[in-house]
Amino acid sequence: MEENSNMTAERSLAIITEQIEKNRHAVSKTLGQSLYISGLCIMATSVLVAIINFLAMSAGWVGFGHLLWFLLPVVIWQLSRRYIKERAHTPTSLVGELVAKTWQTFGIFAIGFFVIAIVCTAILIPQMTVAEYSVVQIRVAPIVVLLMGMAIAMSGQILNQRWLVWFGAVAGLLCFVLEHFEVGAWLLTKCVAIEPYEASVLLSTLPCITIFVFGFVGLLLPGMMLKKQSA
Amino acid sequence: MMFPTLDPLLHSELRLAVMSLLVSAEEAEFPYIKEQTGATAGNLSVQIDKLSAAGYIEVEKTFKGKKPCTLCRITPKGLKAFEEYVESLKSYLVR
Repeated sequence: MEENSNMTAERSLAIITEQIEKNRHAVSKTLGQSLYISGLCIMATSVLVAIINFLAMSAGWVGFGHLLWFLLPVVIWQLSRRYIKERAHTPTSLVGELVAKTWQTFGIFAIGFFVIAIVCTAILIPQMTVAEYSVVQIRVAPIVVLLMGMAIAMSGQILNQRWLVWFGAVAGLLCFVLEHFEVGAWLLTKCVAIEPYEASVLLSTLPCITIFVFGFVGLLLPGMMLKKQSA
Repeated sequence: MMFPTLDPLLHSELRLAVMSLLVSAEEAEFPYIKEQTGATAGNLSVQIDKLSAAGYIEVEKTFKGKKPCTLCRITPKGLKAFEEYVESLKSYLVR
């Protein structure tokens, strides 16, 4: 860009629009990378959790692998920080701030809900029968995917990316329905006869499949698209 | 019809680009502005100095780790000048 003072009003307006748009793209690219990293981490963690749950079950540690989810925010945060350090610093903008605040709010709600669910489960399990517990238990996965879908959709609204809103809404709602109504377990029981042991393995593994699907549809894919779009 | 005069300090491609970038960002680093505007470091430095001398932007020399880092941010005076510039532009565009 040169030092040119003989511009038309249209050219001035074009420069203003172009620079504001470039800023929005820079924020979109950073968000795209963060979604991509989060997607990869979530998919890898869900595979790890499923394997650990499967192995731990034989030792009587039901759902032990789910503790790994607590490590996830730290891993994502560290990897995203490393990426941001490597490239030219994206400026702090209102759009970027809004997107960051949306994800911070999601983090507070998700971690808070996770802790509440664990505490409630620890209190409820010794006092209830299996039948009673199955009614009052707090299921974390459907609520967390719903919250995450909402955060993705809100990021899409802020960045004015209509397709991202759809990705978030569809991934969040679809995975919520799959997980809340145990569609996977229901389908499996309809297809094959399952023994009680296999059923308990499935119960601790199926949320991992839903989260894996969500990681791909709701995070990795939009992350790749945002990165490609803003390149 | 009389048209308002456009602020000569803002009516320049590079300075306007810098101001437009800073309007939508709280603050931006020199390399980022250089990357987004596609200007040379020397030319950009000169234009940033002009905007800074007019009180339209603040320039802060700091360190990022061990590397020197130049941060630019728009001032309230700069924001007001930019708003007035856009208002003036409107009158040219609705002719």
